Amino acid sequence: MPPVTTTIARLADQAALAARALVEYGQHLLQPTVRLGITGLSRAGKTVFITALVHGLLRGGRFPLFGAYADGRIANVRLAPQPDDNVPRFDYENHIRALVDERRWPDSTRQISELRVIIDYQSGSGAERTLTLDIVDYPGEWLLDLPLLGMSYERWSAESVQRSRETPRAALAANWHRDLAATDPMAPTDENRAIASAKLFTEYLRACRDDRFAMSVLPPGRFLMPGDLEGSPALTFAPLELPEDAVRPPDSHWAMMARRYEAYKDYVVKPFFVEHFQRLDRQIVLVDALAAFNAGHHAVRDLQAALTDILDCFQIGRRTLLSTLFRPRADRVLFAATKADHLHHSNHDRLEAILQTMVQGATERAKFSGAQIDVIALAAVRATQEAMVGQGVESLPSILGRAAAGETSGGRVFDGETDVVVFPGDLPTDPGAIFENRAAAGNTDAALRFLRFRPPALEKTDAGGAALPHIRFDRALQFIIGDRLQ
Amino acid sequence: MIASDRGRDPATFSPSDPRVRLERAELPPLALAGEDTAGTALVLPEPAPRRRLRWGGLFWTSVSGLVLLGLALAIVRLISDLFSYAQPAGWVGVALTVTAGVALTVILIREAVGLARLASVDAIRTRAAAAIASDDRKEGQAVVAALLSQTRRIPRLARGRRHLEDLRSDIIDGRDLVQLAERELMEPLDAEARRIIGTAARRVSIVTAVSPRAAIDMVFVLINAVSLMRRLANLYGSRPGALGMIRLFRHMVSHLAVTGGMAMTDSLIQQVIGHGLAAKLSARLGEGVLNGLLTARLGLAALDITRPLPFAALPRPSLNDIAGSLLRSSQGTDQGKPAAPKHSEPPRAEAG
Repeated sequence: MPPVTTTIARLADQAALAARALVEYGQHLLQPTVRLGITGLSRAGKTVFITALVHGLLRGGRFPLFGAYADGRIANVRLAPQPDDNVPRFDYENHIRALVDERRWPDSTRQISELRVIIDYQSGSGAERTLTLDIVDYPGEWLLDLPLLGMSYERWSAESVQRSRETPRAALAANWHRDLAATDPMAPTDENRAIASAKLFTEYLRACRDDRFAMSVLPPGRFLMPGDLEGSPALTFAPLELPEDAVRPPDSHWAMMARRYEAYKDYVVKPFFVEHFQRLDRQIVLVDALAAFNAGHHAVRDLQAALTDILDCFQIGRRTLLSTLFRPRADRVLFAATKADHLHHSNHDRLEAILQTMVQGATERAKFSGAQIDVIALAAVRATQEAMVGQGVESLPSILGRAAAGETSGGRVFDGETDVVVFPGDLPTDPGAIFENRAAAGNTDAALRFLRFRPPALEKTDAGGAALPHIRFDRALQFIIGDRLQ
Repeated sequence: MIASDRGRDPATFSPSDPRVRLERAELPPLALAGEDTAGTALVLPEPAPRRRLRWGGLFWTSVSGLVLLGLALAIVRLISDLFSYAQPAGWVGVALTVTAGVALTVILIREAVGLARLASVDAIRTRAAAAIASDDRKEGQAVVAALLSQTRRIPRLARGRRHLEDLRSDIIDGRDLVQLAERELMEPLDAEARRIIGTAARRVSIVTAVSPRAAIDMVFVLINAVSLMRRLANLYGSRPGALGMIRLFRHMVSHLAVTGGMAMTDSLIQQVIGHGLAAKLSARLGEGVLNGLLTARLGLAALDITRPLPFAALPRPSLNDIAGSLLRSSQGTDQGKPAAPKHSEPPRAEAG
């Protein structure tokens, strides 16, 4: 696209966004609203987090640190029809049923969805107020696309190819690499070749996502979670091995791939970014670091790279009237290491330190722009209890839970009905150590091993209803919406 | 793949394994966690006021006995004189001396215990501040345990203590834990403390407004201040005796000296306006209001040093909270009985 057109298009985007923000600003004066962005790569626990959040607000729970709730100032919480008519509703009822009745985790998110929660509360000074909470859920894979917005096809190609040649990706990409070597970018367009390349590339991405490798930087996200675009040209492209300083010949295979890449950005990535991602008031970034620890230091480094790329797309900063109108941005960002219940609490501080190291760049940027940042190790739904295991002179801080079906440990396969006590290993005291390879390779004898557990049996609240146990969830709530419920 | 520091390998166990102990059961019983504070609390006599009165009475009785027997003579000479005069009278002298000595020792020990308790309040406060700064979970738990044993005999905190004990096995970080304890345990006490200070300030302002002599003002203010401090200390579960009181007083005077300037500027407008307005009504009334304000400030300073936790989650009561009701009530005295102190609940500070 020529630069002038790009500039005009960008200006138009900005104008549309500003107009919308103005309308929303007017609405928010009458009806205070918080748009909550729950961000996280796939399997970070977004859906569980949202389900627990809505359940906690609707049914209550043990939230001693969530000020407005602990003081009893929240009078009533109800669900309401959402503002966007073209977005599906977040299926809270089914998710909570899966969690509570069937004791299984909700299915992974396949499409964007939204839920509006209305909180009637009394402010500390006695005024009766209402806060509207808009919550957006979307597949974590889509998040991987945000960095593409600022990237040309050539650059993306080069980076993808280069990344696929590093360990442990190289072994998984072997098939696709053969195809890559056989493809001539200068050749005329060949639809069948494009389809084959896209398929092999998708297989490679899928293999990288396997638990044993747990790679995170896997754009484009729709390749992994295509939704209704499956098979369309916008999803039929792949990186090419391009010569260094060649010019793109028209009507070549290269040109077609580049065009489709741009189409993907225009029709898939940008609408998501503008419609949903850019208008958030508060951001929660959920990170499943434990899966990466399981897979080893390559996975941890990859996770860090993915987070860094994604966080660059955030618009964070202190709110002013001007920024509200022209450049909406989040004024509070919470980085949460999820699944903290898979660790004994004595290791939580270390988990927080590691996450802090991972998102350091974004944290500094956010602080500089005046936003408030917090880093918490949490579990929105706590699936385990803690236990100590006496082993010789020392005792191992362990956790007790019901292992999910199909999990293996020490050659034993669990059927999903057995309780097990696990000592997952110690996290390093030096957070930097986890990014480096300090031990011999080999996934089987990893020094850290986290099992998956089934959701817990429920405990009762004061009111007698079912409450989900959690770790530091109330602190997260307090940080994210506590100040709006003062 | 990732090396851990101590190199302990992951392992799984069956829940029925005898080596496995559930964490919940492992929590130490509450009283043990309070360490030395719990120990001194156990040493303290239970129905304190009555017992204190008896020992004190005994001491004063013995002393007055001694005074009666040997005000003019040194005790030794008196006793030897008594012996030379009559054997039984000598023995009576000896007995009285011994009794006085024992009673004095007991009182000294009790004062020392009172002092130790006050010190432990300081220690808790320092540790709480440290726990808030470091966000260390163990430290926070230690502070809460110490606080729970400290406030064990305050009946109105039963509910808050119950809440906190319920949460002891939850995973809450140090800072949050201390602030939670502050909200649960200190909030009702703070409200009561504010009421006590308000009442004392109002009483001083009324009495000084109607009293005919400056000397009466002075004496009344002094007595009122001392009783105010004792009541505050009792409210927060630290029970200083006379020695502790002196230390509290010194602490308070130095505190006043440091914060006086700041508090002055903070409340200068309030005072000037209050004084000016009230002075127009009557110079006496103005004097009363000023005295009341001074007492209120004294009370707030005493509150700061007797409260076992720093103000972190809850707002520190300001002079305005109390002075406002003071002004209202001193103007309301014309309408019969002084209005009950009406404290507007200050907006809650954020815990996070």
